[in-house]
Amino acid sequence: MSTVDTTSGKPSPLASLGKPFAAAGGVLGIVAALLPWVTFSLNDGNWPDKSTLQFFDAPFAVTGFRWHVLLLGVLILVATFAPVPSRGRVVRALGWGLTIVSLVNAVYITVKGGGLGAITAVDGATAFGGVVGLVAGVLAILAGYGIGIGPVGEWKFKISTPVAYLVLLVSFGAVLYAVAAMLTTGGVGSANPYAGAIFLSFLGFAGGLLGALSGVGYVRWISALSEQHRVFSVIVLAACALLLPFTEAGNEYWMTVAANIGIYAATAIGLNIVVGLAGLLDLGYVAFMGIGALVAANFSGAATAYFGFDLPFPVAAVIAAVVAGIFGAIVGSPTLRVRGDYLAIVTLAFGEIFTRSAQNDIGGFTNGSNAIPGIPALSLFGAEFNKSFTIGAIKLPAGVLYYVLIVLLVAATMAVFANLKFSRIGRAWIAIREDEDAARAMGIRTGKMKILAFLIGAMLAGLAGAVFAHKNGTVSYESFKFLESVTLLAAVILGGMGSIPGAVLGAALLFVLPEKLRDFEDYRLMIFGLALILIMRFRPVGLIPDAHRRAEMVERADENADEAHLEAKKA
Amino acid sequence: MRKHSVKSAAIVGASLLVLAACGSNKDEGSGSNGGSCDTSKGTLTVGVVAPLSGNLSALGVGIKQSAELAVDEANKKCTVKGYKLTVSAQDDEANPAKGAQAATKLSTDPNVVGVVGTLNSSVAQTVQPILRDKKIPQVSPANTNPSLTRGNDFLTAPKRQFDNYFRVCTTDDLQGPYAANYLVEKAGKKKIAIITDGKTYGEGLAAELSKQVAKKGGQIVGSEKVGEKDTDFSGVISKIKALSPDAVYYGGEYPVAGPLSKQMASAGLNVPLMGGDGIFDGKYIELGGKEGDLATSVGAPTESLATAKAFVDAYKAKFGKEDYAAYGAFSYDAANAIIGALAATVDGAAWDESKRDAMLQNVGKYSGSGATGEVKFDQYGDSTNKVLTVYQVTSAKWKDVQTGTFTG
Amino acid sequence: MSVLLQQLANGVVQGALIALIALGYTMVYGIIQLINFAHGEVFMVASYGGLATFTLLPDDLKKSAAVALPLMFVGGILVAVVVAVIMERFAYRPLRNAPRLAPLITALGVSVFLQEAVRVFYPNAKSNLPYPKVFPEGNLTIGSINVSWTGVMLVVLSVGLAVILQTYVNRSRMGRAMRATAQDPDTAKLMGVNPNRVIVLTFIFGAVLAGVAGIMYGGYLNNINIDMGFQTGIFAFTAAVLGGVGSIRGAVIGAFIIGLIKTVAGQYMPGGTQYDYVWIFVVLILVLVFRPQGLFGEPERVRA
Repeated sequence: MSTVDTTSGKPSPLASLGKPFAAAGGVLGIVAALLPWVTFSLNDGNWPDKSTLQFFDAPFAVTGFRWHVLLLGVLILVATFAPVPSRGRVVRALGWGLTIVSLVNAVYITVKGGGLGAITAVDGATAFGGVVGLVAGVLAILAGYGIGIGPVGEWKFKISTPVAYLVLLVSFGAVLYAVAAMLTTGGVGSANPYAGAIFLSFLGFAGGLLGALSGVGYVRWISALSEQHRVFSVIVLAACALLLPFTEAGNEYWMTVAANIGIYAATAIGLNIVVGLAGLLDLGYVAFMGIGALVAANFSGAATAYFGFDLPFPVAAVIAAVVAGIFGAIVGSPTLRVRGDYLAIVTLAFGEIFTRSAQNDIGGFTNGSNAIPGIPALSLFGAEFNKSFTIGAIKLPAGVLYYVLIVLLVAATMAVFANLKFSRIGRAWIAIREDEDAARAMGIRTGKMKILAFLIGAMLAGLAGAVFAHKNGTVSYESFKFLESVTLLAAVILGGMGSIPGAVLGAALLFVLPEKLRDFEDYRLMIFGLALILIMRFRPVGLIPDAHRRAEMVERADENADEAHLEAKKA
Repeated sequence: MRKHSVKSAAIVGASLLVLAACGSNKDEGSGSNGGSCDTSKGTLTVGVVAPLSGNLSALGVGIKQSAELAVDEANKKCTVKGYKLTVSAQDDEANPAKGAQAATKLSTDPNVVGVVGTLNSSVAQTVQPILRDKKIPQVSPANTNPSLTRGNDFLTAPKRQFDNYFRVCTTDDLQGPYAANYLVEKAGKKKIAIITDGKTYGEGLAAELSKQVAKKGGQIVGSEKVGEKDTDFSGVISKIKALSPDAVYYGGEYPVAGPLSKQMASAGLNVPLMGGDGIFDGKYIELGGKEGDLATSVGAPTESLATAKAFVDAYKAKFGKEDYAAYGAFSYDAANAIIGALAATVDGAAWDESKRDAMLQNVGKYSGSGATGEVKFDQYGDSTNKVLTVYQVTSAKWKDVQTGTFTG
Repeated sequence: MSVLLQQLANGVVQGALIALIALGYTMVYGIIQLINFAHGEVFMVASYGGLATFTLLPDDLKKSAAVALPLMFVGGILVAVVVAVIMERFAYRPLRNAPRLAPLITALGVSVFLQEAVRVFYPNAKSNLPYPKVFPEGNLTIGSINVSWTGVMLVVLSVGLAVILQTYVNRSRMGRAMRATAQDPDTAKLMGVNPNRVIVLTFIFGAVLAGVAGIMYGGYLNNINIDMGFQTGIFAFTAAVLGGVGSIRGAVIGAFIIGLIKTVAGQYMPGGTQYDYVWIFVVLILVLVFRPQGLFGEPERVRA
């Protein structure tokens, strides 16, 4: 491990205050965790984690956000005095985490408890935890700048393969644990009135930790390690995904959400071929998923299906993919002449034509506004996919088989995408994306390639749509509107165009976020809109930019972005 | 550096001592409870699934708040012994897949005893099976599609679809024909043009209406659709005007119907517009509904119903304004049906999973008089309240002109 | 025959509204190649701004249309301009050098945010709100054709403002700077054009037009709702593309074409009004296949 001297060259008025501020921040953070946070019990019930209590009454029973605050405080102290690479970054990240946790809790208590008295002093009781925490956080952030924001730490030592495997295993296991913890924070039921605050607070804590880990260079190291042992990493990641049902998050609700995420992720990967690789902006992509869903529904034996018989699911799914692919090729055909944003509007037009036609029961295939309900759940060897499922003594929640099916589907589409991307075809697409005229001059048959992109992308979407039909049991035109197309596109761009894990991460984010924001009720979509703006503001290249793309933007991409890229890869 | 940290540690230590001395309430109380009732056994939840964001949120929020009102009143009256009730409202964005997620979220909570919702029939289709698997009763305030309770062949071979699904509103196959009878027989409008918004509610209503119009010797002169987000209807109106209808039937809700009526008048098409309970709302007139326009709604006129007035007053007292929208009263009744059945199921004992079967049966057996009239369910889960009233806009107010039941 | 004429008149009025918004799309796209999806929401916000202005007026002024109406225009346009400038400064400008599609997502985020913000914070905005009756009432009747006076006003304003804008862009110094930036931002910069000023000004022009459209929309249709911007925005964008993005004339003509197709196809094409949108998009696709740069667009040139 090399501990790089991280003080930057720029003299800062804070420079001399860096370490003292950091130390003060750390100590105050610990103090904050020990102090009470609320003076009285709120109308909706106690603020979580026994926040009216002094630490000294139950010193080892700190839980929830107070435990997070304590941990952040200790870590800030450790980072201040231990030989840590890129100390400024680490302290700053932890400071942000502390600030957000304190802010979220303090603001919520003030708003829900009706006044500042709840977080200061009232009726002889005091509760300065929030204020102290906030001060500590701000001090730590300032200290970070004072110490100086140096380059991200680099770990150069080599380790043997078995050790590397072990490190990867532990790291991915931690990711699995973090994901499960994130999904379940605030509780699944509706019983907890403060679920929204608990979630945001947790997010602040996790963000701070991740920032610190990335600052130290750990994230970059793991990322390089997993690149080295790619096959092993993929297997471990897939295994982790399959293990999710066994964690705390393994309940029916999160299995349903995760299955939906998977369906959209598979579709987003298809879209990534069209947008990310071939560079053809598509604003009506969800129509292909709709077509796949409709085909599967009509072959499912549902009461209002067009065909009176049901095909086995694999056959129906293949037909769905093929039909969607044919439509993809048809929609793609104007690309022979139309370029750029003009093409975007052609695809948008196609999407609108699809919804309008489906709404009007075109050809009797869609059952119009009544939709096609009652599509039977999938079953395999007598195990119905929507029922719960037992392995030995462990009872898994309902919907877990769909989840497994979808994890496999996503893995398969990822494999297809990866193979295509590094094939001759993939390189042709990238060439078209970068410069169509030059690509043509190099002998690439651009027209054929572009239609092929649409065709393959649409087939993947059709396949996902077939699963969608059975998972949801109803196929209605209302599920395939412009907004869904936009969400898919946002998933691709948010994750990083052309990047394989990016599309999955993007889809996950766009679906988990609104679900976790449910507790904000009225403000939910507004916060979502704001989140889109902010993410693009700070990560315009996407959360996990494609390595290839990154190379293209090397002049622009500051190392800041680079760091966050690794950060996201970790997540 | 070292000196600094020692100093700060000293400061911190001192302040710690000071703060520790201040003290605070050392044990956390049990929190607030619901007034004077015994709520020792904990909290049970009534779920709501409705669109709370987006363009249908006015209807969805009305559903949610009306359910909250019902739950509040039950808490005050100690209707369910030993338990405090709460509402957990989940947004379905009027999207079937999101509705499924919302329903799953509620269904994984063992404290959810019943669900009020949904607004859209298409969302109901995905919600029904999820709640059925958990034996959670679903009482819809607004789904009017007859196939939800009686299957696809609802007229010829009705068959109960979901034993957990009930509704307090009326269905298209009653409301549409009743309106047709009024238009053709009573009002003497033989040539009727139909406009719908293309969604389940409006389409279903219009389809049932046109069958009955033909049966009664009337004529459907034209059938048009407006886009869900359309606001300028001049094209549709001009097209219909050329067919010179005696009346226009609109299948859809008041946000479109009001402006449509106004634009009809200003385009010189001076015939009454008629619609279903989706347009029976004061807002319809505010948005341009003209004199002589007609609407059907379930139940006897609210003025003649003390329970309806009580609901409106209580709602206003709680939320400050009357924005319960088209389905608020239905939602209030739906929530009360769940609460009533719950009270009968629990009856002093403790709630647990084994009570779900009894709960379903008790909802089926529930009977009460609500804000929309008598609330009771038939063997399919439909409301037995088949009384319908035709209202007409008279001096900028809805006035009832005919009350009765559909008899064919 | 009279039905056809009436439908043509309806189409022209619908087209006039779309044109006012399409101009904003086309100008912004012409300068920074951004599909500003949030432009439809600027139009929506303007409408609510106008309504708020009216609500805030003292009661005696509310009665006099001659005072209230201009004030509503001022209020609505002001709100639109402020929103557009803030949007440009804080959402789009930091992304000027970002990958091409990043601002698109930002635009969608802004769009969702504005729509929801109005829905949550504007009183009673969850359902349609009636618009004050300060606009001229009654119809202009020529033969069998009826057009409301607000419709006539809309067409006059739309065409008039488009002509003024075209003249300004062609003749004035600032207009020249705009065209220069659109053609080659780097060279324009070297020639002393301040790109930030040009871009802000473009957004302001778009917002003013959208503001006028927002108020007129309320007057013409008597009520407004939070997703009025979405649909009209999509049509406006379509119009801009149909006419050729960057072309002011193209946007206006494209908008009128869309209005006419919607009403005439709804009347005469198979499927009737159920499929009126479909015909708009079919025509769009056909035009683009045979004239990929739109009706009045310049053939694609290589951009830096």
